Amino acid sequence: MINYPQISIPPRSDHLWRYTPWKRIHPTKVEEMPEADEIKFSSGIDTKIEDSSEIARSFIHSISQTSKKISLDNETLELDLRCSGHICSGQLVIESSGKSNLIIRLSGDAGWTGLRILGIVDGSLSFAVINDLASDGHLLRCEDWIVNRESTFEFATLSAGGFLNKTDIRVDLEATGSEMRGGIASNGYGSRHDDHHIEIQHSVGHTNSSLVMHATCDGSSHSVGTGLLTICEGADGSDAGQVFRNLLLSEKARAEAIPELEVLADDVKAAHGAASAPINPEQLHYLSSRGLSYQEASSLIVEGFLMDAFRHIKSEKVVDTLRTRLLVHLECLMNG
Amino acid sequence: MGDEVLSINDLHVSVEGNEIIKGISLTISVGEIHAIMGRNGAGKSTLANVVMGHPSYEITSGTISFRGTPLEEMEVFERARAGMFLSFQYPSSIPGVQVGTFLRKSVSAVRGENAPSARDFRKELKGHMESLDMDRSFLSRYVNDGFSGGEKKRLEILQMLLLNPCLALLDETDSGLDIDALRVVADGINSIAPEAGCLLITHYQRLLEHVKPDFVHVMIDGKIVKTGGAELAGDLEAKGYDWLEA
Repeated sequence: MINYPQISIPPRSDHLWRYTPWKRIHPTKVEEMPEADEIKFSSGIDTKIEDSSEIARSFIHSISQTSKKISLDNETLELDLRCSGHICSGQLVIESSGKSNLIIRLSGDAGWTGLRILGIVDGSLSFAVINDLASDGHLLRCEDWIVNRESTFEFATLSAGGFLNKTDIRVDLEATGSEMRGGIASNGYGSRHDDHHIEIQHSVGHTNSSLVMHATCDGSSHSVGTGLLTICEGADGSDAGQVFRNLLLSEKARAEAIPELEVLADDVKAAHGAASAPINPEQLHYLSSRGLSYQEASSLIVEGFLMDAFRHIKSEKVVDTLRTRLLVHLECLMNG
Repeated sequence: MGDEVLSINDLHVSVEGNEIIKGISLTISVGEIHAIMGRNGAGKSTLANVVMGHPSYEITSGTISFRGTPLEEMEVFERARAGMFLSFQYPSSIPGVQVGTFLRKSVSAVRGENAPSARDFRKELKGHMESLDMDRSFLSRYVNDGFSGGEKKRLEILQMLLLNPCLALLDETDSGLDIDALRVVADGINSIAPEAGCLLITHYQRLLEHVKPDFVHVMIDGKIVKTGGAELAGDLEAKGYDWLEA
């Protein structure tokens, strides 16, 4: 396998790199592999992870000094990842069985953070990542998930921190009866750039997936949501849906929502959609008629819009944690 | 009957250049229940929405004052905080916002310094929900999101009871309700009526069998063409509106 320095720089014509090119998210110069501090994991055992031929994963692999493994079996774990220093990186392997919850909180003032996650789901896993990084930090996050037979993977992201974020999540529903439900909430403010790319592959039939991404776009922020949903040849009986919605709060903010569909099987249900709109004035009027000022009503609608990205997540623990973190984040923003 | 809460004088209202309300005058005092009846498109809901301050409507002439204050000086949220309440015909859904959170914020906003503590609020809420036969699970659902017609109307009445307004505008609150739900909703209206002015907009007499109006007004083509007592609703049920158009 070729590793980082030998991998060609991907062109911007590549769907994945169109809005956040590799040159922009790389912490220094693209030909360099700078030294990185370790992400401090609050738990996990040391492990080794194989390199990847994909440029971002290989880069994180090459500069990371730490790889941790978390094994969950019918349990709930809140994992803190503390990111500090000029450049900071780490890798994480997650193995889950039974009915488990895993909530990861990324925090710290690192200038640049690289995080690579590899996960295998056996049973039912509800998984959340909360990006609470400092508002001037950069984040490159890559995840690869395999969902086993008759297993369910819920994944949620609350993206509220960092200045320049690039996330690349890939989920392989590789066995019959596997299911994925995803929700991503991205809060755009200031000049924040938040790019999520999600690839979901239905490798076999009778697999289900649903993905909702909601982004609020204020200030001169830029939100990007690109999805690639692939239903492989022979994966009949699959059911898949993706929705990307943007709530436009400022004329200067930009939002891209591009779900793509590649269906190679005949007997499937597949749907995708994208929409961008300002706050619905009827909602504002309704809340105003209940005594909320314009500012209070708008804030509540924004909060609801972001939380609504998680409407398919059934784990109350995960949803409650996301709500609490979102409220703290919005309150901090409002209070400067 | 005494204190005036709403005073409308020769009101004309347009939407996108079309005049919908063509000269209405109406006064509502504390303790009075007024019912407005009329065909679809007569301007009944427009009247309620204008009083609440919906931005789509333009008052072209006439005046409205609420507890003596001209309404043009009050934002929508200020009207609510001053004691005005509109039960919407089609309440908006607010996905992602839990009913419990919404009610707490609304009560805090309207009652201000007199807002109850979290404990007292829960107690008060529990009592009202029981009186409306509402399950506690309502509180964790998103506001009006996926609600049936009846559930939406019950939530409107729950808000009315919590906010305890001095002027309640109820826009077709009886539509979509079964007989049991209608009675529950009517009980809610009756409970606030002695200390508030109420304006009921309805198509049917059935709500008025449970909530006795002091005045019934008939609206046709943007005007009140007849005012009478509760018996007028019975006449309309029996004869329709044609006899009033001559």
